[in-house]
Amino acid sequence: MPASAHSVAPLAASAPAKDRAATDRVGADRRDLLPRLQRLLSRGRVFTSPAQLAGYASDALGYKSYPPDAVVIPADAAELVEFMRGARDLGLPVMLRGAGTSLSGGPVAAQGGVIVHTSSLRHIREINRDGFWCEVESGVALNDLDAALKPLGMFYPPDPSSGPVCTLGGNVASNAGGAHCFRYGVTSHYVLGVEVVLLDGTVHRFGGPAGGRGRWREDWRRFMVGSEGTLGAFTRFWLRLLPLPEKVWTLRATYPDLRSIEAAIHALVAHPSFPAAIEMLDPRGVAMVEGSRMAAGLPRGSFMLLTEIDGPAALVDARVAAVSDILRRAGSDDVAFSDEEETRRRLWKARKAAGGLLGQLSPDFVVQDAVIPKGALAEILQLVYDEADAAGILAVNIFHAGDGNLHPNFVFNSRVPGELEKVERIGERLMRRVIAVGGTLSGEHGIGNDKAAYMPLVYGPDSMRLQWAVPAAFNPRHQLNPLKVFGERRFTG
Amino acid sequence: MKAIAPLTEERFFTVFLDAVDGTVCVPANTTGAALQARVAPHGLRFPLLLDPATSLSAHVAATTHAPASCRFGQYCDNILGMNWRLPGGRVVRIGERVAKTTTGYDWLRFLLHAGGRLGEPVDYVLRLRPACGFSLLAWFEGEAAALRGCVSRLLHGGWMHWWDAVDFVAEGDRRRVRVAVDCPPGEAPLFTEELQRVAAAAGARLTLQPATGGTLDGIPDLVLKTTPDRVIALAEALAQPAARCVGLGYSGVVHVYLREGGDRPDRIRAMVESHEQALYALGGDWHSRWLPAPAPASAEAAWLVTLEQALRTP
Ligand SMILES: Cc1cc2nc3c(=O)[nH]c(=O)nc-3n(C[C@H](O)[C@H](O)[C@H](O)COP(=O)(O)OP(=O)(O)OC[C@H]3O[C@@H](n4cnc5c(N)ncnc54)[C@H](O)[C@@H]3O)c2cc1C
Repeated sequence: MPASAHSVAPLAASAPAKDRAATDRVGADRRDLLPRLQRLLSRGRVFTSPAQLAGYASDALGYKSYPPDAVVIPADAAELVEFMRGARDLGLPVMLRGAGTSLSGGPVAAQGGVIVHTSSLRHIREINRDGFWCEVESGVALNDLDAALKPLGMFYPPDPSSGPVCTLGGNVASNAGGAHCFRYGVTSHYVLGVEVVLLDGTVHRFGGPAGGRGRWREDWRRFMVGSEGTLGAFTRFWLRLLPLPEKVWTLRATYPDLRSIEAAIHALVAHPSFPAAIEMLDPRGVAMVEGSRMAAGLPRGSFMLLTEIDGPAALVDARVAAVSDILRRAGSDDVAFSDEEETRRRLWKARKAAGGLLGQLSPDFVVQDAVIPKGALAEILQLVYDEADAAGILAVNIFHAGDGNLHPNFVFNSRVPGELEKVERIGERLMRRVIAVGGTLSGEHGIGNDKAAYMPLVYGPDSMRLQWAVPAAFNPRHQLNPLKVFGERRFTG
Repeated sequence: MKAIAPLTEERFFTVFLDAVDGTVCVPANTTGAALQARVAPHGLRFPLLLDPATSLSAHVAATTHAPASCRFGQYCDNILGMNWRLPGGRVVRIGERVAKTTTGYDWLRFLLHAGGRLGEPVDYVLRLRPACGFSLLAWFEGEAAALRGCVSRLLHGGWMHWWDAVDFVAEGDRRRVRVAVDCPPGEAPLFTEELQRVAAAAGARLTLQPATGGTLDGIPDLVLKTTPDRVIALAEALAQPAARCVGLGYSGVVHVYLREGGDRPDRIRAMVESHEQALYALGGDWHSRWLPAPAPASAEAAWLVTLEQALRTP
């Protein structure tokens, strides 16, 4: 039974909601909420005090705050199913949350409601070495899976930099990528099966260890991957595995200008050594790292390129000279490379440190996630600089260059009137150009509510109708993660 | 932020070749041979071909994998976008021309292998790979245990990432393991040495031959999807009624080729009946271009109604 819609004041009034969406709340009477939730879950698994909710008001895009009405942590999948069965009648939005490292405003209560934290679904249930698959619960942290696979000589390739904490549920829901996806591909390439609980409490298994459709006629798993918590709650996955590469060479080069690093990237992507990763840090990123305790000895003003080749020792040892040659010929007189663990870590240092250092520059940042054809790399980066400079906003670029997956980080202070608006204007102009050159809005972070405003740039009337048909089939009232992916996806109670 | 006005017209892919990105947009009825002719001058290839004379759309309608899926993934990981004709006749753009996207719901992978039920492809945007300049086919023969040993060594070692294909081929009474290689000419001795090491360790005989047409097996009549460790047993079980079975080792797929004949659909049905429950239990499936798709499961009927409404809107 759908509950009647009447707006209520937020239960958790601890943090002032900075975003207009936080005032747009629906739901049951707040006095009713606690006992009703407690009936659905075991003792101690429902949280409503402002102090308990504070950590759930935003994701890693900290500048927007959306305090939820409550947070629940189901003890196991069975309890999550019970919760979902009851949730429909609560008359509140329901948001799934893994580690909350989303960079797109994904797991937040943009319309208020209940956040479901999957931190108890942490079991790696099976690793099948002969079958190249594993079965995991959705709250397993990515690096915990890798730690379990490593002794078996296996790995699961998608590798977002948030790996130490981010969950496989969040990875699947946002089709996560990472540095090594240039050769290995993104999460959707590795999901063999998904177990999902829909809002009506039904549990469905789409696929499984064999990675087919199972008894279904259609391949519903495809809609689940990348659905950003808007279709159902994932409880379990079957994931495809690969044998660990035997040996890795890491190569780092610096370049004096955009054109020469672009030439290096273009040469690398076409090279038969099939680099696993091609990453880039721009001069503003280099300056940020070199001005910090994490300084890596990079020349100021340079563009840094990092690439890796992996494979059997005999093969990669034979290839490393050719790859370093490519880097030099494109215009670098500063090429360093190593196959030795400690030195490789040092070569990666600037790239790994850069994300974490952004917070030292200014309180807030917005990171875009556009993917472009690589022929347009220099043009689009120049646009980022021109727009940001004209607006007086610092833009730092740290990104997956091999995939053409840009991450311009616009660093700003949301307490300075007008700064957020400037960043939004830059974002819109950038996205218009990205679409014009044949690119797309998001490569791996998802749309969340942060990029939803740009969706009209991508879909025409017919394809928009198809997009909307998917939530219409699984979550027609938009009770699951409302206002995400498409900003008009509003739950009306 | 001021709301952005919605597009009033569809965007479409136009035919292009982007040598930097290694992508190409071609009509879906392009044959494998025509595609290769178009991209080869740029040092590129589309590795997932089964038959040069057959259109790309017929490849995709028949199966989800090709031998080179071992190294490069399924068709749906190598077809980035498409112009798609909806059942109502209108054409929409689905997917992208770039390799990564999380922009909205994944209609591309949903529609790609949905047969003709939900429309048909007009153009595909394909992801291409560097053509390395030297290709080779290795055949391993020997006792059953030796062949299993070969497959296990080939797939579980660090070289696994570099084999274009590791297939178990059953034809009549003959059983062989086939490995396809595409590498720079200078690296050929390294690949050959590794193949010889595998043969010696597993106790199998090795024959090397130029790869021309090596994994162009043709369009399969029946495709079964299971887990990689079950491929050899499944291909063995189907080898007798079939003319030829090719088990794609890492992909967990068995391609079945049958002798022609009016009773072909009945023979396929019989094969399916004896294996489908075991496949379903693992989340596997089957597909044949000679049989209609199974009826939708009861739970999916309602979802399909919603989707079909959107797809069929004139
Ligand atoms: C420092 C840093 C580096 C990063 N680097 C990368 C990178 O290299 N590549 C990359 O792709 N991303 C990167 N990210 C973004 C982020 O880590 C990824 O998107 C990650 O996949 C999110 O996982 P999570 O567990 O934190 O999910 P959350 O942030 O908790 O949720 C993300 C989305 O998934 C949904 N969701 C979560 N669990 C479930 C579930 N069980 N069922 C249904 N829906 C669910 C949520 O509703 C939300 O929409 C980075 C983030 C940070 C902070």
